[in-house]
Amino acid sequence: MSHEPVPSVPQVLGVVAPAVPPVVDAADLARALEERSMGQALRTEELVVNMGPQHPSTHGVLRVVIKTDGEVVTALQPHIGNLHRCVEKIGESLPYYQWLPYVDRMDYLAAINNEHGACIAIERLAGIVVPERAEYIRVILAEVQRVASHIFAMGVYGLDTGAITPFLHTFRERERGLDLLDHIAGGRLLYHVIRIGGVKRDLSPEWIDECHAFLDAVEQRLPEYNTLLLDNHIFQERTCNIGVIPPALAVGWGVTGPALRASGVDWDTRRDAPYGIYDRFQFDVPIAHSGVAGVVGDCFHRHWVRFKETEQAIRIARQALRDLPPGEIQAKLPKTLKPPKGEVYVRVENPRGELAYWMVADGTDKAWRIRCRGPSFSNIGVMTDVARGALIADLVALMGSLDIVLGEVDR
Amino acid sequence: MSDAAAPANSPTPAGAPAADAGPRDPVTAHAARLVQAKVPGAVVEVVETGRHPFLRITAEHLVAACLVLRDDPELALDCCHLVSAVDWLGKTPADGPGSIEVVYHLVSYAKKTSAAYRRSAVKNDGFVVLRVRVPRDKPEVPSVMGVWVGADWHEREMWDLMGVKFTDRPLLRRILLPEDWPGHPLRKDWAYPVEYHGIPIIPPEGR
Repeated sequence: MSHEPVPSVPQVLGVVAPAVPPVVDAADLARALEERSMGQALRTEELVVNMGPQHPSTHGVLRVVIKTDGEVVTALQPHIGNLHRCVEKIGESLPYYQWLPYVDRMDYLAAINNEHGACIAIERLAGIVVPERAEYIRVILAEVQRVASHIFAMGVYGLDTGAITPFLHTFRERERGLDLLDHIAGGRLLYHVIRIGGVKRDLSPEWIDECHAFLDAVEQRLPEYNTLLLDNHIFQERTCNIGVIPPALAVGWGVTGPALRASGVDWDTRRDAPYGIYDRFQFDVPIAHSGVAGVVGDCFHRHWVRFKETEQAIRIARQALRDLPPGEIQAKLPKTLKPPKGEVYVRVENPRGELAYWMVADGTDKAWRIRCRGPSFSNIGVMTDVARGALIADLVALMGSLDIVLGEVDR
Repeated sequence: MSDAAAPANSPTPAGAPAADAGPRDPVTAHAARLVQAKVPGAVVEVVETGRHPFLRITAEHLVAACLVLRDDPELALDCCHLVSAVDWLGKTPADGPGSIEVVYHLVSYAKKTSAAYRRSAVKNDGFVVLRVRVPRDKPEVPSVMGVWVGADWHEREMWDLMGVKFTDRPLLRRILLPEDWPGHPLRKDWAYPVEYHGIPIIPPEGR
């Protein structure tokens, strides 16, 4: 062993390490430690840890400050706003037509659903009637988007809980769905294809064939994803009984979407307060029940609801493709849209929950006030109550199961 | 149908929904009767018909009215869906300095199957809308965070962007913007700052 004076790590950092006498046996070591601690007992203290804003499990720029007692989280405070892009302020300063592309950027994994809600809100304000064919195309696109978003969420949740394989599998099918939307809209994530009074482009017979093929492929692959996640013992150990959100807490916080249904609350806006033409389709609303695994409201059930909802989204899309009527896809609109004075509150079922728009029109071509309720904004708030007492490792499982999109939290 | 105790500024501001004709909204009608009976003086104005029925509540009675609405077994408004605010600057000349309106969209997940809800859902999605008007220069509204915990973040956002001061609650801090951001950008008279920490800000008109 060399005797050259090699600087130890503490010295490099500018901290002088205390001189420890070389020890030869256990008794000496115990005495040395006793001397160093100067007779005091080991001290414990709460540690404040910053998670993010660049943590891989936060799905964007989210900073979570957690107070920890060892491995246990005693308090948690999410700090949001890193992705704030003033969607509401822009809405007040641009004409209705020009504001629409901005809503895509809120929930960038479900841009079609954002557009759907915004267009319905503006159409109700202005009293525009959408052609039948456009309504069906909207539903087809929205459900293809929902499938893409849900299987993406399922795969990424595997990544959060330590499994890389399902992520690669779901990405393969999701990319196919995005290609479909790309063909119709010309963009991979941000489409601006649903327009006020209709849709931008019509569906071709080839597109419809490809859409059927995509839906079939996803339906075929879903059991495969389940062998990797839902039926996987390690995944169950990571998610069952973790991050349980009781139904009363979920409703009080305004948690919506799959997270609400995973807590056992029987609510789906598409069925219970239908918008567009959703009242014409047959579909089930999957509600968490105790017969699967774990307890109702835990991370496992949020994943389970997403899986079940994907099946139902495929069902709705197939019905819409089957019933697609011929005809116009765009209503006649004035060059400058000036809705009469009034207001509107529209909520739509996004893959992540209920997206709502509150718009106040003052008779000009710009809205006087636009307010957007991002579902992830409310879903993320519930974490402050649920995470208390959880392990740090389970925090990642909880955050991933809520499937937040920071673009929508910060808007 | 306004309450007799309505103050002079009770007519709906320009841009807000007028009480147009149409079927009555049974949920809003029930909510209005309930609050009028249990919290006297709380309801300033009721619009039961049209596409946007609402109750206008005085700021000081807001929390009491919300508790009544939440705990009523018939309504069971268990969720505050959204807290929003709108600045009516220049829209209400009668108001002098103008007013800010805080709007609460309340909804019930427990009672969605009731017949009254079904009838109402067709046009109003089953929402009960509360509106509270406060002066622009002193926009103070009591917090409903104790009634619905989810109102916490929505109130912070409305403080951040609109400058509505929610009283009787902890931690009324900015939520989206930086702590040292000047003013509340959704106010209609908010002016773009020249720079922020050395970063020049070009307002949209100058681009």
